[in-house]
Amino acid sequence: MSTVGTWSSPFAFALLNGTVQSFPCISSLTSRLATTWSWSFTQTTMATNGEGPAIGIDLGTTYSCVAVWHSRDDRVEIIPNDQGNRTTPSYVSFTETERLVGDAAKNLAAMNPVNTVFDAKRLMGRRFSDPLVQNDMKLWPFKVVSGPADKPVIVVMYKQEEKQFSVEEISAMVLAKMKEYAEAYLGSPVKNAVITVPAYFDDSQRQATKDAGIISGLNVMRVIVEPTAAAIAYGLDKKSKFSIEKNVLIFDLGGGTLDVSLLNIESGLFTVKAIAGDTHLGGEDFDSNLVGHLVFEFKRKHKKDISNSPRALRRLRTACEKAKRILSSTAQTTIGLECLYDGIDFDWKVTRAKFEELNMDLFKRCMDHVEKCLRDGGMAKNEVHDVVLVGGSTRIPKVQELLQDFFDGKELCRSIHPDEAVAYGAAVQAAVLSGETNERIQEIVLCDVTPLSLGVSVRDGDMAVVIPRNTTVPTKMEEEFTTYIDDQTDVIFQVYQGENARTDDNILLGEFWLSDIPHAPKGVPRFNVTFEIDANGILNVSGVDKNTGKESNITITNVKGRLSKDEIEKMVRSAEKYRDEDRKLKRKIEARNSLEDYVYKMKGTAKTVTLKSKIEDTIRWLDINESAEEYEFVDKLNELHRTFR
Amino acid sequence: MGIDYYNILKVSRNATEEDVKKSYKRLVMKWHPDRNAVNTKEAEEKFKQISEAYDVLSDPQKRQIYDLYGEEGLKSGLHAAPSSKEKDYYTGAGGGRGFK
Repeated sequence: MSTVGTWSSPFAFALLNGTVQSFPCISSLTSRLATTWSWSFTQTTMATNGEGPAIGIDLGTTYSCVAVWHSRDDRVEIIPNDQGNRTTPSYVSFTETERLVGDAAKNLAAMNPVNTVFDAKRLMGRRFSDPLVQNDMKLWPFKVVSGPADKPVIVVMYKQEEKQFSVEEISAMVLAKMKEYAEAYLGSPVKNAVITVPAYFDDSQRQATKDAGIISGLNVMRVIVEPTAAAIAYGLDKKSKFSIEKNVLIFDLGGGTLDVSLLNIESGLFTVKAIAGDTHLGGEDFDSNLVGHLVFEFKRKHKKDISNSPRALRRLRTACEKAKRILSSTAQTTIGLECLYDGIDFDWKVTRAKFEELNMDLFKRCMDHVEKCLRDGGMAKNEVHDVVLVGGSTRIPKVQELLQDFFDGKELCRSIHPDEAVAYGAAVQAAVLSGETNERIQEIVLCDVTPLSLGVSVRDGDMAVVIPRNTTVPTKMEEEFTTYIDDQTDVIFQVYQGENARTDDNILLGEFWLSDIPHAPKGVPRFNVTFEIDANGILNVSGVDKNTGKESNITITNVKGRLSKDEIEKMVRSAEKYRDEDRKLKRKIEARNSLEDYVYKMKGTAKTVTLKSKIEDTIRWLDINESAEEYEFVDKLNELHRTFR
Repeated sequence: MGIDYYNILKVSRNATEEDVKKSYKRLVMKWHPDRNAVNTKEAEEKFKQISEAYDVLSDPQKRQIYDLYGEEGLKSGLHAAPSSKEKDYYTGAGGGRGFK
């Protein structure tokens, strides 16, 4: 059988883990192509010498984490940020003078709510008109509008100018910051990275994540799914204790998403058996429920609606997040906010019971996904050897309780760090892909599966599945097709991804057709369609007319919502520009600091009137010139140096 | 006779489920593309065959069909694909669903 059409991404989505890569994203190729057309994009994804160590990044909805494998001591190191924290908020804030990322941005969220962007992962690879996006927007203080091809665009004021950013760009800012932390910590440039995504992310969401990596200046070696990364952390942790086969259920409830996956681990072999989850269920939803409740209580008590004040909502949200954390260890806490709205102080006691009641539906939904995962994996509860908790929200006692009850009182595994396990596993995979020679990690092999079914649209728009969900990749599968009407002269194969019986509800990945079919009654012609996912996760779809043995034309169209190569390059350049500006600002602040430093040091030692007045002059100048240029501070300092020499 | 799944998995026709699994794991460790940076293409082809064979032989029902009818017996039914002129009616891409 010969290949008729092959399509792949120009960014060679190096993705084995639970992925299906399939973006035919060359928009110029809408014309019909000649018969024997083959096309291959290859991109070296292996680390080469001189590029520094490869890092693992857990790009979370609310927090991100970066880690690296230390070949010297044979272990993973979680890299702290500039504040010494091991996780960094996935926040970007734009002010009149600067762009802040991470802790600094989150700390400013209440002061600058409309220009502080968070939750970008929830928009990743989604369309603006997606009901989930529309729903989320109601709770976000920042502005999201519809861009070209229904892509969401984030609008902020930066340096007194209105700026528009794609979701990929915002995430790239977070990734670039993580890269920067790693570089500062390692003392060498970092180029290669493994980034994690939720197992349930579909193709466009994974591709968008990869694009964000490219924009941030990283070479994304592979995108792996979070639960697999967590399983690696668990596997390495447990390895000394067992070498027998185990079935492990990873329950990852983070800030924004829930991922439940069933893995089989034997020695170094990790096989994902089944995945289930919700890209929209996590800690933030619990916060939102509490926020909603308190907005209601405020209205009841003070007859005032605070939901139109982004600042009040932001403060309330931050307080709710804190309260939620406290409620994991105590039964009751108080939310106290001075002058929350209209000069009214807000004090409210929240009990763990109330918090649980508000979120019970969501907690129960988590358990439904656990059940579904087991069902998909064809496994009974008692066949699961370990239930591993990952993600900050698994600290919630009620969640643990429900999970334990579900597994008939089984003790849950809490040995890995819930916030760091994913980055840890990503760092290990980065080391494996860099050809790390440590024997412990050399034994690791990830066998992953397709997260969603792949198929073709047939009669009346039904989905004919060719590669079912949870198929181990790489894989090759074939299906036979025929015509729908008498004397049909061509057939169109529209390739879809998704679990719905009707293709309308699934995601269109691309299409091609076979033409010049000889006249025949319906159902007589035979076409073989082959779906092939290679080691890099790239999907190739081909079709051939079996009756004539003839290879026909193909047509490849672009997928809506995916960034084009030009767009990405433009974003890479503008991201560099922003980083340049950040660096300039940093240098300016440092220059100002050294000047101030010197002035105050000399103030005490200045004896003569001339010297004293020189100092006074400089202090005054500093007061008026809050935002002078770097060279001005340097000039002033040099001038003082000369005077005091 | 089509593909010999037993040969691919290097097990005999009366191998137990446990034998099949063991052999599969051993072969996966050997042929996973991640572990074959030099001959990735060959490894990938092998891996695909191994997965396909395991998919059939690890499932008692599929294995029985395969034993009786061979590889052809496992193929699902024939699907009818629309022509390019009609596709919009089916997929709703042109907003024409329900038009028929």
